[in-house]
Amino acid sequence: MSDEPAETPDAPEDTGTAVERTRRELPSWERIRQSEWFVVGVTTLAVAVFPWLFARAPVISGVLRGYQDLATLILIWGIFAMGFNLLLGYTGLLSFGHAAFWGGAAYAAGVFSAQVSSSPILIILAGTAFAALSAWILGFISLRRGGIYFAILTLAFGQMAYYMALSPMAWITGGENGFTGVELGKLFGVFHLRYPVPGISWLIGTWKYVLVGGVAVLCVAVANRILHSPYGMVFRAIRENDQRAEFVGLNVWRYKLMAFIISGAFAGIAGSLYTIYSAYVPLSSFYWTTSGEVVIMAVLGGVGSLFGPILGAGIYLYVENIVSGVQQLTLPFTGPNEYLTLVQEPVVLMDGFGAYWHLILGLVFVAVVVLFPRGIWGLLEDLGGALRKLGGGR
Amino acid sequence: MSLLAETVTVLLNGLQQGAIYVLVAIGLSIILGTLKFVNFAHGALYLIGTYAGLLITLEITLTDGKLADWGYTTLGLGWGFLPALLIVPVLVFVVGLAMERFVARPFYDRPDTDQILLTFGLAIVVQEVFKILFGGQSYNFARPGWASGQVGLPIVGTFPEWRLYIIGITAAVVVLVYGLIEYTDFGLVVRAGTRDAEMVELLGIKLSRPYLMVFGVGAALAGVAGVVGGPLYAVNPNIGTEVLVPSFLVVVIGGVGSISGAVLGGILIGETLAIMVAIAPQWSQVGIYVLAAVVLLARPQGLLGAEEVTP
Repeated sequence: MSDEPAETPDAPEDTGTAVERTRRELPSWERIRQSEWFVVGVTTLAVAVFPWLFARAPVISGVLRGYQDLATLILIWGIFAMGFNLLLGYTGLLSFGHAAFWGGAAYAAGVFSAQVSSSPILIILAGTAFAALSAWILGFISLRRGGIYFAILTLAFGQMAYYMALSPMAWITGGENGFTGVELGKLFGVFHLRYPVPGISWLIGTWKYVLVGGVAVLCVAVANRILHSPYGMVFRAIRENDQRAEFVGLNVWRYKLMAFIISGAFAGIAGSLYTIYSAYVPLSSFYWTTSGEVVIMAVLGGVGSLFGPILGAGIYLYVENIVSGVQQLTLPFTGPNEYLTLVQEPVVLMDGFGAYWHLILGLVFVAVVVLFPRGIWGLLEDLGGALRKLGGGR
Repeated sequence: MSLLAETVTVLLNGLQQGAIYVLVAIGLSIILGTLKFVNFAHGALYLIGTYAGLLITLEITLTDGKLADWGYTTLGLGWGFLPALLIVPVLVFVVGLAMERFVARPFYDRPDTDQILLTFGLAIVVQEVFKILFGGQSYNFARPGWASGQVGLPIVGTFPEWRLYIIGITAAVVVLVYGLIEYTDFGLVVRAGTRDAEMVELLGIKLSRPYLMVFGVGAALAGVAGVVGGPLYAVNPNIGTEVLVPSFLVVVIGGVGSISGAVLGGILIGETLAIMVAIAPQWSQVGIYVLAAVVLLARPQGLLGAEEVTP
């Protein structure tokens, strides 16, 4: 199974109309879509427009009810989920211990900011380095068993990290209270993270978002480059059949460990950004529910695609932060506070809706696992393909 | 207290701690070993067992959650502990049968990761349903009146009677399951199926029914653990997942599919916890994970696990 549509350089029929021939000479849409600059460019554009669409655009944001900080948070978790997907979606290894890298990086970043330097870039580097190092150690132990045991072991060692932070290391992590002494300096020594960007603050908001968004674009570029390199091809080969990959002469164990370290580093980037975002590290960032959340995000959005997990992170956080606040589920466009008020009296579908959000998300997750293994992104791709076929295209 | 008495007390406490993990882990282990199915929802079965036991045993007053909103403020039956110990396993056994038929069976041919994701999702759903029905708060599961006192033991002096009962009940259940697997025709088929399912099918034995039974028995064991372990911890919707992680460690340490391995692993984990609590309480939880790491580095297949034929 290959993810990209097969390229057909030698199309058999060469007898077409003049229009068709010229169309073939132009770079095809597929090829443009695959090109690195296109992916990075579109991502940059999307990241730049996202908070505006989400929080400040005229009608859309009224419907979405989003806010700037949620946009930032979605990007941070998006990086986390993307890194997780490099492991699950491309190498086929399911880790339940990524909280160790997210939380470890968050604490490392916090401690680094308090003890060494408060420069945001250095904080991110420190957190990421710590996460990559711990991923190396945990991966080395956990990868001794494959498949299901790997999931169990990563879960176990993730919990070990939690208990380490809870009591033996409480002198530095702050135990149950979390780490409160985060110091944040100016970006490049010039830009204050909390200040709006002059001139375009209506579009992207504060410098904090510029930092997070910039890192997110960078992460997408790196992940894209990895996945389209021969190295990334090996990951996919391992996912499809690791025995066969072994026979071909690849050192599967080493590639798996590397995939684990890379994905741990992505989790580390996200964790450090989270420290910068909230200026506080809660102990719960180590708890295994954090690992569970990133699993849900990645699978919900769709594993095995670059953007699926980011979509999943967006959906999860949106439901957690916005939908869970909805106490009464009403039919759209009914009730006094809607944008298009058709009926003044709201039509109530469900009372106390917010309390059920976790259950509903759980049910949707189960449904996705059973019915759409490629997640919501895969579903959208299939829909797009079907539409294109309807429209007569390829 | 003398050093000897203290040591024996700690060891007994460890045995009792381990007993709960053994009960949960045996179910996990035989399901994993026989059906090759990873059940992350096994903690949910424990959860069901605990709440069912709570409702059967005590006349409990619900103050929170949907059930209270709907007017069921007293739901407990007040039948006492022994009926719970008999009814709950049957109940959870049936839940296990349903789970095998409708959840596990369609997923036997799907990849491991899909099984884990499915059962993980299911565990969340069960946990949330309980949270919605009973509220998020903790209930106190009182130990049965006939076992709430202290008992005099030779070296130790006095020891909580209930803890001895836990060890006793666990030992009885383990012997029962061991006998079932080792000395009956059913157990013979199950063990053969664990070794080579294809060959057993070729011999003309349909494995679907033994598989169903294995899942049911494993679930029932989790139910027993829920009732027996209920009085040890406060009962809340998160208890299932809290029991699941150490139980998985027990399975990994002991070796998959081996009942004696699960017992050995459970005792090791329980004793490690108890001893660490006695000498370095801060490190107690970390200790069991270090133990698991050491065992894995030395013997990846678990202490009593067989060397895997196919990786």
